[in-house]
Amino acid sequence: MVRRSVTTVSAEEIINMLREKLGDIAEDIRYVESAGIIVRVKPINLREASHIVHDVLDAYFRTMMAVDERPINNTFAAYYVYGLDNKGINIIIETHADPYTPVLPSIADIVPAADWYELEAWDLLGIRFKDRKLHRFVLSDDWPEGLYPLRKDVEYTARPSPRIFYKPPLQGPRLPVGPYHPALHEPEYFELFVEGERVVNVEYNGFHVHRGIEKLAESPRFAYQKVPFLAERICGICGFVHSVAYTLSIENAAKIEVPERAQYIRSIVLEVERLHSHLLWLGVACHLLGYDAGFMHSWRIREKVMILAELLTGSRKTYGINLVGGVRKDINMDKITAIRNTLAWLRSEFTKLADLVTSVPEIVRRARGTGILPRDEARKLSVVGPVARASGLDRDVRRDYPYCAYKDVSFRVPVYTEGDNLARVLVRIEEIFESMDIIDQLLDKLPGGPIMAEKIEVPEGLIGVGNVEAPRGEDIHVVLTGRGRPYRWRVRAPTYQNIPALKVMLRDAPLADAPLTIASIDPCFSCTDRIVVIDLKTGRREKLQTVSIPGGCGCEL
Amino acid sequence: MSLKKLLKPFKLINIARKSGVVTVLYPYQKPLITIEFRGKISIDATKCMGCGACVNVCPPNALTLSRRDDTIILNYFIGRCIFCGRCAEVCPVGAITVTHEFELASTSTRDLNEGLVHHVEKCSSCGGRLGTTSKMLQYVILHSPASENYVHLCPDCRKKRFVQSLAMKIGARTEDYEG
Repeated sequence: MVRRSVTTVSAEEIINMLREKLGDIAEDIRYVESAGIIVRVKPINLREASHIVHDVLDAYFRTMMAVDERPINNTFAAYYVYGLDNKGINIIIETHADPYTPVLPSIADIVPAADWYELEAWDLLGIRFKDRKLHRFVLSDDWPEGLYPLRKDVEYTARPSPRIFYKPPLQGPRLPVGPYHPALHEPEYFELFVEGERVVNVEYNGFHVHRGIEKLAESPRFAYQKVPFLAERICGICGFVHSVAYTLSIENAAKIEVPERAQYIRSIVLEVERLHSHLLWLGVACHLLGYDAGFMHSWRIREKVMILAELLTGSRKTYGINLVGGVRKDINMDKITAIRNTLAWLRSEFTKLADLVTSVPEIVRRARGTGILPRDEARKLSVVGPVARASGLDRDVRRDYPYCAYKDVSFRVPVYTEGDNLARVLVRIEEIFESMDIIDQLLDKLPGGPIMAEKIEVPEGLIGVGNVEAPRGEDIHVVLTGRGRPYRWRVRAPTYQNIPALKVMLRDAPLADAPLTIASIDPCFSCTDRIVVIDLKTGRREKLQTVSIPGGCGCEL
Repeated sequence: MSLKKLLKPFKLINIARKSGVVTVLYPYQKPLITIEFRGKISIDATKCMGCGACVNVCPPNALTLSRRDDTIILNYFIGRCIFCGRCAEVCPVGAITVTHEFELASTSTRDLNEGLVHHVEKCSSCGGRLGTTSKMLQYVILHSPASENYVHLCPDCRKKRFVQSLAMKIGARTEDYEG
């Protein structure tokens, strides 16, 4: 399938359509090139507007940014970002809540994907959502009540003393999976409620490594050009996507013209990252299914990609070549030859491996028909990346919202309708082949010229959206610019959107399939967790081991 | 199911035989690092002038500048360093180079600190603290030769000299001024 045209319907037409559908609800509709169409509504009309955008216009829910805008306009603001994938444009519903007792209506029943975002906004900014149960979600259990860390009046150096809390133990037979994933070595904690061998319900207890990165980037210690290095450390496997998403959001907001060559280099490195990430995942999946030979060979192939990444950027991981306005390292003829050689080798080796892995009966039989995520559930939860594509949702940020150099290349987006673990394996295998083709095309077209923009100035008070197709799905950053550093930087990593889908996948399935199903979304927990880690000295015996995990990214295997 | 399909998984034997052993016997063999690898930085003490340009761009604050009495200390703490090499990029005199060194583990944090002490120049007129190093002054003179006349003075003395010359221009005599 060939790429869809970027914008078939212009923004004007969508605005007219929105005016017609929303009527008096919309206080103001404006088009901002860097973000999308911004519709401002009153909190009381938020539910109706969400319903129209999400269900009538059939837009995916992408992210929500809650901001403490009291120093600017004395309100708490919430920006709900929806994406019209087929038109490649965002619709942002903006609403403002009272500064003293911020309350917004909950839209979690209309847009199920918004559930986590509301809990996070309550935890971090103290925005209350009406008609729903709010509970401690992102912050650790001993964080004091009534202190909302993302509010501007809380210093980033604030280290409050822990509160004493009591959580009643849960009832019924249950099986803990975690706090470290048995194969992915990442902090996560699933509680599977079981009846015999069947999983009947799943509780997810995450955010053990919330490091407060968003708050840190707003602190005086940081500046626009330092944040890319911080963003890269959100994840240990797909860090570069975060730094690109951040720089894109700033560049979009400030209208910085990034040289063509820099955009090509970014795209090449992004694809190299996808190659190594998918190879890693394939290895882990083989390992989980007891096929360790596949694991070894997948990682043997991956090693060459890692060495290539080091040659291109100077580091095996956390490449550190990205800045607002361009990249720091150029590609010369030697490197191009090295890329071509590695790709040729990789193609022949991986073809053999993929052929082998998909023919091993112990993999195929255990992956087929397990962990099914039906299409309508996937749509409701607006899942992203390979998980969406394996469930029949044809979404890919690279094609739908082109960024960097992806507008100049053609590639196929693999879509499967089965929605099971095997489909997710096959989507990733096909994506590896597509990635290799993309790199080849990019190298053919690589333009000359500078790699850094000449003028980099970021004015205050602008909103920018940057999205990148990470190996795990769509990664989207929303930035509100401030003086010298972001005023608010909202990171939404792909796993954040995909974990709620695990509940559907695991429910009513045999317990033995659970580890593979959990791994099948390629979870990346540090991406999902972004706040403070505090040592817990008190609390229940069972909880103790789950919460006192030192900070830092547990992603890199 | 055909026999060919059934036997497909055994292709692994062929793949394994062809690829052989790929594990490198590190540390007995040389590690596989490329020429582009970024390791720890090394600061050339003869070139560094203590301007602090590197300190401003260092994302994790691995480079810090501190003042004690009449010295400026540039400290490099490897424990915080993320090996991005931004400091080498911005150094105006090219004192910082990125090395390939990466085996930095140590049992003592003291080994991870590298300090570079610069002495602060004194004001050539009053003898007070000037706040800059002599290499910095040389650098300024090199880039704007006109500054040679006043660069060795502290801000107070510069002000004094300026007022003095202004007063002389409008007719004040030196005795008046000194009296």
